[in-house]
Amino acid sequence: MQTFNQLRTLTGRIIRQNLTNADTIITVIAMPVFMLLFFVYVMGGNIATTGAGGAQAYLRYALPGFLLLTMAMGSAYTSMRINLDRTSGFLDRLHSLPIARWVILGSHVLASVTFMLMAEALVFLVGVLIGYRADVTLSSALLFVGLSVLFGLGITLLAIPFSLKADNYASAGGFSYVLLMLLFVSSALMPTTGMAKPVQMFADHQPMTPIVNTARGLLNQAVAVSQHTEWLAVGWLVGAIVVCGFLSYRVYVRMFLTR
Amino acid sequence: MKAIVVKGVTKDFGALPVLKGVNLEVEQGEIFTLLGANGAGKSTLINILTTLSQPTAGTVAIMGLDPRTAGNQVRRLMSLNAQATTLDGEFTGAENLSLIARLRGVKDVPAEINGLAQRLDLTSFLNRKVKTYSGGMRRRLDLAMSLLGNPQLIFLDEPTTGVDPQNRLALWQMIRELRDAGKTVFLTTQYLDEADALSDHIAFIHDGVIVKSGTPAAIKQRVTATYTLQVAPADEAVATATLGAAGIAFAPTEHGLSLTAKQAEPALTALLDAGVTVTHYDQDETDLESVFLNVTKEAAHANL
Repeated sequence: MQTFNQLRTLTGRIIRQNLTNADTIITVIAMPVFMLLFFVYVMGGNIATTGAGGAQAYLRYALPGFLLLTMAMGSAYTSMRINLDRTSGFLDRLHSLPIARWVILGSHVLASVTFMLMAEALVFLVGVLIGYRADVTLSSALLFVGLSVLFGLGITLLAIPFSLKADNYASAGGFSYVLLMLLFVSSALMPTTGMAKPVQMFADHQPMTPIVNTARGLLNQAVAVSQHTEWLAVGWLVGAIVVCGFLSYRVYVRMFLTR
Repeated sequence: MKAIVVKGVTKDFGALPVLKGVNLEVEQGEIFTLLGANGAGKSTLINILTTLSQPTAGTVAIMGLDPRTAGNQVRRLMSLNAQATTLDGEFTGAENLSLIARLRGVKDVPAEINGLAQRLDLTSFLNRKVKTYSGGMRRRLDLAMSLLGNPQLIFLDEPTTGVDPQNRLALWQMIRELRDAGKTVFLTTQYLDEADALSDHIAFIHDGVIVKSGTPAAIKQRVTATYTLQVAPADEAVATATLGAAGIAFAPTEHGLSLTAKQAEPALTALLDAGVTVTHYDQDETDLESVFLNVTKEAAHANL
């Protein structure tokens, strides 16, 4: 019970830090919303997606991509928060308290995934307000939430080694640009078919494309997504969680438990 | 039971030995000060004692417990106030205290916070965001966070570094009050006056080794006690010749003849036997600064 209370206390602290920090809110919520509006109303009509053109068709196509983009932007702050706790000595203070070791980083992981889901829900809400209508069943909606949790967990665990190793707060979030680049060069914001051939080949075979396509299929039953794509998405995510989880654990143990 | 027992502790960072066989004992209810220059090994030792780090070799017992096998039990008994304050600027003082209190499993959080705030004179700014605090206020709040949950052993790692003189004296008073309340305080500092003013016991650490330890008075007595001896002006030439003939080294100062503790008594005897009128003979007041310089000089010399 004490361990659960400690986990809740520390998780609450980080979520509150995120929700009361203007920088975080601007980057993780306002910026994706601005990009969504910009892409839908300025560029959307000029981007050929599947089916009919126009802003609404683009919104239907791109919203799942923007949701994952929102979560990816949140991962930068996960990394920066952990780094700040390390460099300020707060992690050392926690390690000097009678707290189960897994709770210390576990609270960061839990807070990160929760905050990403909150940001995703807000951007989804903006999407609904400007006309997005999900075509879901209960199971596909739950699967979409499950996919979001796996995605959030994967990129959070990817963030941890960077956050622990980075020299300072500013450089800790740098890795998230790679995630954003992968999302931009994928089917997240536009179909890959119109991309230059080598770029298209990369886009079709990198992890973000099957993940975005699966998310798109789960939110819109009319979009046909092959089982192969779905399993590929799950495979990438589970693989990332296992590999990044192992790496995070190793870096953490080396830095804090066996120093 | 001793509060802390350290036996033969070494700590290597790769090929670099930082602690080279540290031995020390700290009694319960005392202020024990570890004194040393930057890089001497103070923080490394404190990290080992507070379970943040493990020794390469040697043993540590905190209140009879081995931190390696009973880490959480040890952490329940002690708290660490590190060099850097670890406060959340966006939260109020009360929220910062509440966070640590809940992590420590304090039963009545508001009552404990209010009690500590009164003791440490924090009440008037407890509900302000910490980013508006001065350095001294932050340090006091950080100390208060270390006292939550009633720890028996408190590690203070250079608590007054960067603190203005007024707040420094206030912190000294708080540290004395902790000792008076029965807590054991393990303090590290670079300030010799601080160690002199607060400590029941002092240990000098130099290059990873405890080179001297004891009560402040005993250390000063043992290490650098010097005596000043004054003779009647008419006898000065005779006194100089007498000491020279007896092979006793002395240094003339503006106050008289300065002698080491070892040579003071033979010098006095020789002068009195020679009929010299001695007008003043007393031990000099010794400060820890000269002890520290002496000790580190001796240690450096021994390493040559």
